[in-house]
Amino acid sequence: MAAICFYFQVHQPYRLKNYSFFKIGKDHAYEATAQNVEILNRVSDLCYLPANAMMYKLIQENEGRFKITYSITGTCIEQLHRHRPDVIDSFRRLAETGCVEFLSETYYHSLASLYSPTEFVRQVKLHEKAMQNILGVKTKVFRNTELMYQNGLSDLLDEMGYKMVLAEGGRKFLGAESANQIFQSKNEKTKVLPRNFILSDDIAFRFSDPTWSEYPLLADTFASWLHNVEDPNGCINLFMDYETFGEHRKQETGIFDFMKHLPKQILKDKKAHFATPSDLLKIKKTKPPVYDSPAWSSWADADKDVSAWTEDHMQRDALRKIYALEPVVLKLGKPDILDVWGKLQTSDHFYYMSTRYRNDATHQSFTHYNSPYDAYLNFMNVLSDFQGILSSGL
Amino acid sequence: MTKTKVLMLGWEFPPVLTGGLGTACYGLVKALSKYADVQLIIPQADRNQTLENVSIKGLNYYGVTGEQSIELPELPLEEYAKVKKVPAEFSNPYPVGIGFAKEAKALVSPEAIRALYSTSEPYGPNIMQKVATYAEVVSRMALEMDFDVIHAHDWITYPAAVKIKEMTGKPLVVHVHSLETDRVGEKAKGDWNKVYEVEYKGMSKADRVIPVSRYTQECAMTHYNIPEEKFYPVHNAIDPAETFRIPNNSGEKLVLFLGRVTFQKGPEFMVETAWKLLQVYPKVMFFVAGVGDMMDELKKKVLERKIDHKFVFAGFLSKSNVKKVLAQADVYFMPSVSEPFGLSALEAAQFDVPCVISKQSGVAEVLPNALNADFWDTESFANYIYGLLNYEGIREDMISKTRKDIALLTWDDSARDVMEVYESLGV
Repeated sequence: MAAICFYFQVHQPYRLKNYSFFKIGKDHAYEATAQNVEILNRVSDLCYLPANAMMYKLIQENEGRFKITYSITGTCIEQLHRHRPDVIDSFRRLAETGCVEFLSETYYHSLASLYSPTEFVRQVKLHEKAMQNILGVKTKVFRNTELMYQNGLSDLLDEMGYKMVLAEGGRKFLGAESANQIFQSKNEKTKVLPRNFILSDDIAFRFSDPTWSEYPLLADTFASWLHNVEDPNGCINLFMDYETFGEHRKQETGIFDFMKHLPKQILKDKKAHFATPSDLLKIKKTKPPVYDSPAWSSWADADKDVSAWTEDHMQRDALRKIYALEPVVLKLGKPDILDVWGKLQTSDHFYYMSTRYRNDATHQSFTHYNSPYDAYLNFMNVLSDFQGILSSGL
Repeated sequence: MTKTKVLMLGWEFPPVLTGGLGTACYGLVKALSKYADVQLIIPQADRNQTLENVSIKGLNYYGVTGEQSIELPELPLEEYAKVKKVPAEFSNPYPVGIGFAKEAKALVSPEAIRALYSTSEPYGPNIMQKVATYAEVVSRMALEMDFDVIHAHDWITYPAAVKIKEMTGKPLVVHVHSLETDRVGEKAKGDWNKVYEVEYKGMSKADRVIPVSRYTQECAMTHYNIPEEKFYPVHNAIDPAETFRIPNNSGEKLVLFLGRVTFQKGPEFMVETAWKLLQVYPKVMFFVAGVGDMMDELKKKVLERKIDHKFVFAGFLSKSNVKKVLAQADVYFMPSVSEPFGLSALEAAQFDVPCVISKQSGVAEVLPNALNADFWDTESFANYIYGLLNYEGIREDMISKTRKDIALLTWDDSARDVMEVYESLGV
């Protein structure tokens, strides 16, 4: 049967505080510090710590046969480092097992790949450094913010030495090819791992939905679905938010119990095995099929595109303005200013401004604003202050 | 199947308009006439104003043979909406002190009745006499009429409606466009306030209550203790209209306040908002279109805050002048303390003017793409107005989304909702 590739996204943004127009020019602290720490603590206690402990135990129990992959954003690891060293320690322990891979991404979980190649490279390097310093890890596999991908991205990744990238699955990118295999980019320079969005979302979304025909989903049922995938050179890519465990799906839903039993159920089949993306890189295949995404794609929403961040006038206005600051920020070259600018690029700020998905339950669960208009105005007030700082050259 | 016969009791009706009541009545009756036979009785009918399939009787023609029912061709709302005469002393179209007026006896002679309602003033100091007389005369008229259901708009028609229900046993639907608690606040509940009593009795005796918003339903439940099962909220709507923009080259942005300058509309919160905004952003004018009993106080507050040079008090504007102002406005601002609906916000939205309105406004329920804050939260209001005047991205999104919201609001839908209310009564 095919290899099972589990990858979990770990992310927390720096949410902005309530920043009214009175504060412009007077208050240069933008973060909702107390709220950010509170959420970080909650998610650490409900998800990161218990889930890491569970994963560690599963790795021990299965004597190296269970493998997983993470990608932790810079904004998240920075906050954990500052406020929850216990969580950092638990990730380190996982890293030391040799069964866990940590992927590369943009430090600020940004949309830089869409707007500025220079800034993209800066942020990826920053992230590489952070992962090396904090967890002592390095990789040749990249995942972009929200699995955003476009054919041109692989040129940039290739220049930076990346061999593989994660992307969303779906007919429009894969054609008639099976999703459960390794693809390659259009320029044939980079391997592409497409997400099996059906099986992934069975765990990430439908698991706790009582109206779903498969509810309640048990580990042996899910394992049997995986066993049915025959291709020995294939891979089933189960990509999801790590916060699925304990935060998006609360402990009471049985999500931990499900995961605790899953590896054993999967490994009942002697041919079954888990793999990290770097393990998959070692598979030699003469000519993998081409993953084709001429426009920007992502793992979000039914449309699998970037409309949730870039569709509205507000989003485009805010994005245009934040990236228009690049020359000034680079000219000043001050690390603290570069850091503030980077944090303002975090994709969450623009996601909160989406009007199309305003009443979507998934979107609502992520935003702390009452409306996309509030999100935009708050961001723009902060941006006005930041523009003031830049023009004063402080 | 025969159409439901509705005895509709109204008060304001084009061209006699002081607020949203007449406009809403007109829109609803016109749409409802497709589905029901409507016989409308109002204090003052204009012989030039009629509606197809609607019999309109005005008490200003009471007792004049052959003149009770006037059938003339239909005119567009634009024409109806020309407010006839606004006398100089008519500084407060809806006198908020009505609740404290003396009880009055009904007039009996046809001449006196005709004279009572032949004024340009639908309320006035003798309002209680108008209400009492309307109840007497209309209930007598109703005995001669054939109808299945009574539908009464606001407290001024409730005494008549309750009386007719008692005499005929026909089901009663009361339509709540506004409550005394909206107009005067907690004071409405004082023992001496007769309007509150009339409203309480009307809603209590009614078989169904149609509030113009869920917000108004909440108010009626909280302040009048009317049981939830009676309520069938039906939102007001707006007819499509030709709109236009007039370029504003003054170099100053225009924030528009449109409505009666009374406690209910929150003028003091407008001043506080303006003051806060002007500290940071001086290139803006506040345009106040409307009159009311808090006008002097408003002007005084503006002077105290030293922002009088940033205010224009335009007084009561005709419909066509309102449109000209809407065509230039950058923001429509309605900080109402308690607004059952707020039709003028829909008009502003129709003119592509982004709306900043209080959360205590029924219209917020149908304008999800307006900006809302609590009426006392002047910092948030100022922040919203600042954002709308400074950041280009938000206007386009609000306007394009609001256009879609408004397209969904039709009087036909409201009329069909009302038909469902009648059906729920088995008529």
